[in-house]
Amino acid sequence: MNKKDLLLILVILFVCIIMFLLFSNKSSDYAYVYYENKVIKKIDLNIDNEYTVSGYNGDVVIEVLNNKIRVKEEKSNNNICSNMGFVSSSLEPIICLPNKIVIKIVEDYKIDTVIR
Amino acid sequence: MKKIIVLFILLLITGCSNKDYNQFNMFFMDTYINIKIYDLKFEDKDKVYNEIYDIYSVYDALCDRYTDYIGVNNVYYLNNVLEDGQSVVIDDRLAEVIAYGLDAYYLTSGKVNIAMGNVLDLWKKYRDSGEGIPSEEEFKNLKSISIFDIILNDNVYTKYNNVKLDLGSYAKGYVTELVADKLEEMGYYSYLINSGGNVKVGNHYSDDKYKIGIENPNEDYLVYKIVSANNTSVVTSGGYKRYYIYDDVKYHHIIDPVTLYPSNFSLGVSVITENSAYADILSTYLFLLPIEEGIYFVNSNDLVEALWYGIDDKVYLSEGYDKYE
Repeated sequence: MNKKDLLLILVILFVCIIMFLLFSNKSSDYAYVYYENKVIKKIDLNIDNEYTVSGYNGDVVIEVLNNKIRVKEEKSNNNICSNMGFVSSSLEPIICLPNKIVIKIVEDYKIDTVIR
Repeated sequence: MKKIIVLFILLLITGCSNKDYNQFNMFFMDTYINIKIYDLKFEDKDKVYNEIYDIYSVYDALCDRYTDYIGVNNVYYLNNVLEDGQSVVIDDRLAEVIAYGLDAYYLTSGKVNIAMGNVLDLWKKYRDSGEGIPSEEEFKNLKSISIFDIILNDNVYTKYNNVKLDLGSYAKGYVTELVADKLEEMGYYSYLINSGGNVKVGNHYSDDKYKIGIENPNEDYLVYKIVSANNTSVVTSGGYKRYYIYDDVKYHHIIDPVTLYPSNFSLGVSVITENSAYADILSTYLFLLPIEEGIYFVNSNDLVEALWYGIDDKVYLSEGYDKYE
């Protein structure tokens, strides 16, 4: 193996890593916001933003930051869900019982199309 | 070094590019239609678009029940202009669509009935106003919904007792099938056609299967099942898209020809079979049958599978559904 071969391998590795970084961080996760079991909002976790939805006790402010989601503000006695902090796993839903709001992260399967 | 640059570019092109497809959107037959064609040659693009557009626009006009097209003996003409007991020559293409519907009547023991126009109009009147339901009186005075009042002799159409045609239960599937045939005729075998509740896919664009998500009737955006398949049609019938609520009861648009009321056996049923028109007919049929009877029907038919979303929020699958998991 001469120097050129080594260089070639390095270049390919480099390209792969760049590509991996470019395409893999484009995760396609969404969070669904439910009010009494009805989906009221679909939130793209790739976009940092704040959203306000109506809960049972009033406005619930949801924040998305770095692919994670949390309830920033809500009105309740114990503030359990706003104290829960950021969540990024589909196994860990945010549940605001007093406000009847549930936030679940759903991995977007590779779907070609949807039938309504 | 040159070699490396070439390799670098090749790698970029082959490894990282998304599968190339062209996408056409059209609005016909009251539906937004999305067509993806994979590896469509640039020079074919216009030709393919025009061919598809022509098919949809011709059949849209022929099957239209609400609009008069001058010089076209379409469904509107047959229902509202043609006099009782009179005959008229119709376009061969429309004659074929009607003939398909007449066959469907026997295939579905009378559940899919293209002569239902009069009762559908009655319900539509109430659905549009959102208030009330048809009275006994109105049902009694209803004009014919008998398929035997429609006589089709090749391309000569005759009607009796003011019967009204409605091809809505399968026209979309019928035309989807024609579009798919056209694409294959032009050498394009990898495609995906989605017109609302109606999906048809060809060969896969790589070595895989199309993933067709079926939406939960109770929740927008949420997919409750994914059908993995190639060269097949998936068609959903359900009462959750077009309905109105009166006295706390939901009344949707799929009417049982026997009871003359909307059926309520399931919230939705999806049929998987190769032919899109057939899938369309069967999805309406199964929606009008109790789930157990529907499962029995599908299980005795090798070329058809189906899944139901029950009123109890349970999902019911036909015996051979496994192959689409």
